[in-house]
Amino acid sequence: MDPHSAHSSEADVKTPDLRERTFLPELLKGLAITARHFFKNLFGTRDANVHVLDRNDDSLVTTVQYPEEKVIYPPGYRGLHRLVPREDDPSKPRCVACYMCATICPAQCIYIEAGEYQENDPSTASRVIEKYPTQFVIDELRCIVCGLCVDACPKDAIRMDTGVHTPSEYTRQDFVYDIPKLLKGPGVSHPSDPWFKRGGSEQPAHVHKEAHTRIGEGLVQLKLPHGPRVEIDKSQPVAITKFHK
Amino acid sequence: MKRLGVVGFITGLIVSATFGLMAAAYGLGGLLEKVFFEQFGIVGGSGVSAMLVLMLVFVMVIATLLTLAERKWSALMQDRIGPNRARINLPGIRNQSLAGLPHIATDVVKMLTKEDFQPQAANKFLFNLAPMLAFAPAFALFAVVPAGPTLPVLGYQVQMAVANPDFGLLYIFAIASLAVYGTSLAGWASNNKFALLGGVRASSQMISYEVALGLSLVGMMIAFSTVRLAGVDGMAELQGGYLWHFTTAGGFDIGVPAWGFLLQPLGFVLFFAAAFAETKRAPFDTPEGESEIIGYFVEYSGMKFGLFMIAEFVEVVVLAGVIVAIFFGGYYLPFGNEWLKSREIFVENPWLLGAVFGMVFWLKVVALCYVQLAIRWTFPRFRYDQIQTLGWKILLPVGLVNVFVTGAVVLAAIPAGAEQLPSAALIPYLKPLAIVGLIEIAIVIALTLTPRERTAAEHGHDHHGHGDSHGHSGAHSGHAPVASSASASAH
Repeated sequence: MDPHSAHSSEADVKTPDLRERTFLPELLKGLAITARHFFKNLFGTRDANVHVLDRNDDSLVTTVQYPEEKVIYPPGYRGLHRLVPREDDPSKPRCVACYMCATICPAQCIYIEAGEYQENDPSTASRVIEKYPTQFVIDELRCIVCGLCVDACPKDAIRMDTGVHTPSEYTRQDFVYDIPKLLKGPGVSHPSDPWFKRGGSEQPAHVHKEAHTRIGEGLVQLKLPHGPRVEIDKSQPVAITKFHK
Repeated sequence: MKRLGVVGFITGLIVSATFGLMAAAYGLGGLLEKVFFEQFGIVGGSGVSAMLVLMLVFVMVIATLLTLAERKWSALMQDRIGPNRARINLPGIRNQSLAGLPHIATDVVKMLTKEDFQPQAANKFLFNLAPMLAFAPAFALFAVVPAGPTLPVLGYQVQMAVANPDFGLLYIFAIASLAVYGTSLAGWASNNKFALLGGVRASSQMISYEVALGLSLVGMMIAFSTVRLAGVDGMAELQGGYLWHFTTAGGFDIGVPAWGFLLQPLGFVLFFAAAFAETKRAPFDTPEGESEIIGYFVEYSGMKFGLFMIAEFVEVVVLAGVIVAIFFGGYYLPFGNEWLKSREIFVENPWLLGAVFGMVFWLKVVALCYVQLAIRWTFPRFRYDQIQTLGWKILLPVGLVNVFVTGAVVLAAIPAGAEQLPSAALIPYLKPLAIVGLIEIAIVIALTLTPRERTAAEHGHDHHGHGDSHGHSGAHSGHAPVASSASASAH
């Protein structure tokens, strides 16, 4: 741009000319603008497309009428967090009460009390993991929805993939979510999960590692709560041709 | 296209309702004249019908609808939708917003059922008196405004105004100045600092503008040599004439009507501004000033506040009616009045003619209500000192100049030795007045349509994007960009 534009502020102060001093012409121009908006909106059809920028209408109105028309969340929206259930026993969380999420949480909204599956637990199948949370509480009013807990979790036990925001409640206490409220959605398994170990056998560490890598390559089906979201199209050949030559 | 149909349908509904009500008003007027004359031997029963139909039906209904229109129209001007949430739980319209009309009913219910709060230390009598004093003058103003011509119905002359006193306009000035009591009393009786501040602001503003209000209409009084509004020699009737006109082959007359705003454009602007200040609506709403002090009605709740609110809208309707009667040809069309009057159906049924003209009057009133609302939603509030400056230093001197110019033109145009001025539309000095007025209008239009002239200081900066963009393109288009950037670097 012109270098003069930066330091010519004194010259930019307009001295009012006859139109502005008599006031009336400027008033009429202002009224014309208002009237133009009025008639454009009065006669113009309104497109109710919630994507305001994609609207194809004559009206200038950008309102999205909330209960009937809802703004679509952006594709990257995660939503309220949940505790991921174990696939072998969906009544129990994958969480092993390692306190990683509670430690990293900048809002300190996660409270965990750890418990241990007893030797003589009736459901001995649960004992493939030794620790579990007896209390897992998230204060949703404190939560700043930063997602650090999801990143920190070593067991993929907490996720933000529900796609809903915190629903309204009548009391503050109702926003303190405990395990029954948090534990929802389909169960999830990874190849390295301990309940896949055969009894009495010990898989070498590198096998676990390999299994995770395979998920990344799409060779192993990753089980996700909303299947179609990241579903791998098996009918198409894996696109490795571009690595030839 | 669907919107066009809906808007057209509603407009048609309003037009036909106005027509029907005005026809009913003339019928009722004739009937009441007959009954009054035969039973009591007095003339003037049509005033009662005018009171019932014009004031209680037309003014009140339009004012009520304006409470919604203010919100809905302002929404459209600001690219919003406006109130549309209230629904009526009846089959067929259960999920229809009905253009927000149910909101009027919900507002009324809200006003009537709210707690009627009174401040403990307030003067109870004055506190209760103030809303009535604010409402009554606004309402009473309409008494002298004619909504239709005086016509014979059932053998009696029916006039479409509540009263037609000799002092028509003076009555308007007198009653308009009474409105200040309501607001200042409300401010004082509330025993609240902010209310008092609002009341003081209101009273000083309204008293200041009364001077300009009176002066602005002197020109019209000179032009038509009358202060009457209604009746055969009233301003509304005189504006049915033409300044220049010709008649087509079919008997259709067309021409420049003798409307007040053509004779006295300056007077119109002054009156509009002063009367707008009297209504205390934005841009003159410092007495209310909702963002600084809540205003003189801060302590009022429920229907007492509602009275202040509806008084504001009644003022809007009444002001529109007064302006139409004085400046916009009253109930007359700008063309074809003689042609319409000579139609056989209207000669045989004068009340039909009255209904047509009454419809014209009310449509003009609605149009002016729209203009007032548009002004209210276009301009920002004046600062308090700006209001006083505008009133005393601008409107008052310009009003005086207008009176002098009008008087000079009239004196120059009166033929020498004329004792008695000819009546009706043949007043000799209307044409010179209209020429002066048209020149004034042309100047304003020219100033509005031509771009802003640039001073030397900002000469070189036209492609920097300051100022309105189209203001730079017109008059100085001879400047090539190269030349102006050269002059910019010379600075």
